Amino acid sequence: MNQQALALQNLVKDFDGKRAVDRISFTARKGEILGLLGPNGAGKTTTIRMIMNIIAPDQGTIEILGRPFSNKMKDNIGYLPEERGLYRKMKVMDVLIFLGELKGLAAETIRERGRRLLKQFALDPYEHKKIEELSKGMAQKLQIIATILHQPELLILDEPFSGLDPLNIELVTAILLEKKKEGVSIILSTHLMEYAEKIVDAVVMISQGHKVLDGKLTEIKAQYGNKFIRIEYEGDSAFIAGLDYVRGYKDYGRAMEIELNDLADKNRLLKELSSRISLNAFQLTEPSLQHIFIRKVNEGAPA
Amino acid sequence: MKLIAVIKKEYREIVKKKSFIISTILTPLIMAAFMFLPVMLMKMGKGEKTIQVADYSNFIFAALQQVEKSPHAGKNVLKKQKTDFNRDYLDHDSTGEGSKLKFKKIITAGLSAEDILKHSIASIRKKEIDGFLMIPATIKKDRKLYYYSGNISDFDTNSFIKAAIRTVVSRQILIEKQIDPEIVNEATRDIDFETIKVKKEGTAKSSAGIEYMMSLFMLAILFSILMGYGQLIMRGVLEEKNSRIIEILISSTNTQQIFYGKIIGIGLAGLTQVAIWFLFAMALVGKFSIGLDSGILNFLTLEIGLYFIVFFMLGFFMYAILFSIVGAAVNTDQEAQQFAAPISYLLIIPFIMGIMVTQSPNSSVAVVSSFIPLFTPTLMFMRITVSPPPLLQILSSILLSLVFIAFLAWLGAKIFRVGILMYGKKPSLKEIFRWIRYK
Repeated sequence: MNQQALALQNLVKDFDGKRAVDRISFTARKGEILGLLGPNGAGKTTTIRMIMNIIAPDQGTIEILGRPFSNKMKDNIGYLPEERGLYRKMKVMDVLIFLGELKGLAAETIRERGRRLLKQFALDPYEHKKIEELSKGMAQKLQIIATILHQPELLILDEPFSGLDPLNIELVTAILLEKKKEGVSIILSTHLMEYAEKIVDAVVMISQGHKVLDGKLTEIKAQYGNKFIRIEYEGDSAFIAGLDYVRGYKDYGRAMEIELNDLADKNRLLKELSSRISLNAFQLTEPSLQHIFIRKVNEGAPA
Repeated sequence: MKLIAVIKKEYREIVKKKSFIISTILTPLIMAAFMFLPVMLMKMGKGEKTIQVADYSNFIFAALQQVEKSPHAGKNVLKKQKTDFNRDYLDHDSTGEGSKLKFKKIITAGLSAEDILKHSIASIRKKEIDGFLMIPATIKKDRKLYYYSGNISDFDTNSFIKAAIRTVVSRQILIEKQIDPEIVNEATRDIDFETIKVKKEGTAKSSAGIEYMMSLFMLAILFSILMGYGQLIMRGVLEEKNSRIIEILISSTNTQQIFYGKIIGIGLAGLTQVAIWFLFAMALVGKFSIGLDSGILNFLTLEIGLYFIVFFMLGFFMYAILFSIVGAAVNTDQEAQQFAAPISYLLIIPFIMGIMVTQSPNSSVAVVSSFIPLFTPTLMFMRITVSPPPLLQILSSILLSLVFIAFLAWLGAKIFRVGILMYGKKPSLKEIFRWIRYK
């Protein structure tokens, strides 16, 4: 039994002579959430469009659920594009019926499942409203509903969190975890790494069309070790830059992530800090994905 | 199945539009108004008119009163006149159906002409009378009449009075010269010029004017709905492209099904609309044929109705495909308008030529251009309405159009597939042609 939900081999795509995706390969395991991470313009959406056969790759191969892409498997995939819009003049349930029928569902099934999902997303009062009457966040939730309505085996979501408030991000996160529990494989592209790292099992990081990092989240974090310390403070922290046992740091003003060359220096750091600034918290922590990403990009070495 | 889902959605989207509902209802109303209004206008709104007459000739008023007595006054008089000697006026057939005229004689004795005139004008201003007719004593010699009224543009009344008095005066003169009016009547009788249209089966009386107008009117309907639906389709495609819904659609089905589903769905909506009009027209002709001009009645046959539907559908598919290609190729409304302009010209050309076709439907220019697929829906239809060409010509033009549509659909699906996913700058025509060759 093939355990791969998705396998990309040496994917290349050029736009007007500019290489948007450069030899990207990775695999996603069945039943896991894979985070396709990177800043805006890194090539995430182009990669996903190639996976969805919307644009053809110049080189490389793509296998979905163990087979090359075919029209037949479209009913088995749920796709949420990055830029979103719906028919403004259509009613909520009519949109679901249309998109559901395109996935091969019967109108009755769609009505029944649609009502359940609308309730789950707190959109049930809008069932007979037109799309143009919904707020942006509501429309986005509706699109997520349309994406999972046909109970696909594989979900491909391009920036599912953008435009959502924290409450709705929680809601979407919960739905994704529920889907994962049902055995659905999920590919999730986002530049919001702090949300991604809460739910993803595996990570593929891309920057400027290149893959910079790839692996299981736990393994990646272990590789970077517990050499990170998170502090909350008040005062002038400029002196940190001069400490030779500090490998790097990221200052947020009232909080800071500090990476040490050697964790043994943590007491030295604590002493130094407490003598110069007022500390509110001092905590050993795993590196954030954001931090790892920045490190990787700065190293400039494609993995 | 997925194709049906697209067709259903496109169909419903159009049919539920307010503009669809309004135009479906409004067009037949305009159509009905166009057919009934001339007749109705003549029948309504005029009522009885009272005209005061100062008759200094002393023989005319008595004749006028005879006219007034009969209920269809004007008509009867004119019928009589038809065999009389009023050639230049006779074809004005509607006089009597307009207002009923009531003539009232003023006693002129003992009053000055100025006083009578002053008094009468005052009465007109107060709307006590509708008009004042001054018949001078010298009418036989001068042949001059004076008519005062608040409404001097009532053509029917004016010409009726003029004709009636002219008849009376002429008759009087003949009698005075001892000539039997019947001899003159016989000698100067008008020639009845009747136009008869030769149809495939039998003949039908019809007036050329109405046929010409109806033909242009149907062309105008054809033109405006082809234009309207074309724009609608273009906007729809552009919306899907700009909102990126197209990506969701493509992740569910392929572009061919989206493209064909869209055109078939909107086509069915158009057919629904035309079918409603068709049924309406048939009902109208069947039920109210009494009130209709016989020319219109002869024009609006079942055959013409069916041809209208056939040529509407042909035209619809051609222009729907062209406009959907534009929608898929461009990125903004402005670009869409730029690209749509040449297609609109394609529609306007036969509209202009249509006027020529109604006048000389069998000229070689008309015949040849009616076989050019993009013009067939309008020009061949025009030819059929004015002077039906041989059936073989009609069928071959339909066949030619169908082949052209098949080709256009194949081409359109290819351009659509690439264009709908191309964002960014406006494509050049060269680029669009390159899309056709994409595998």
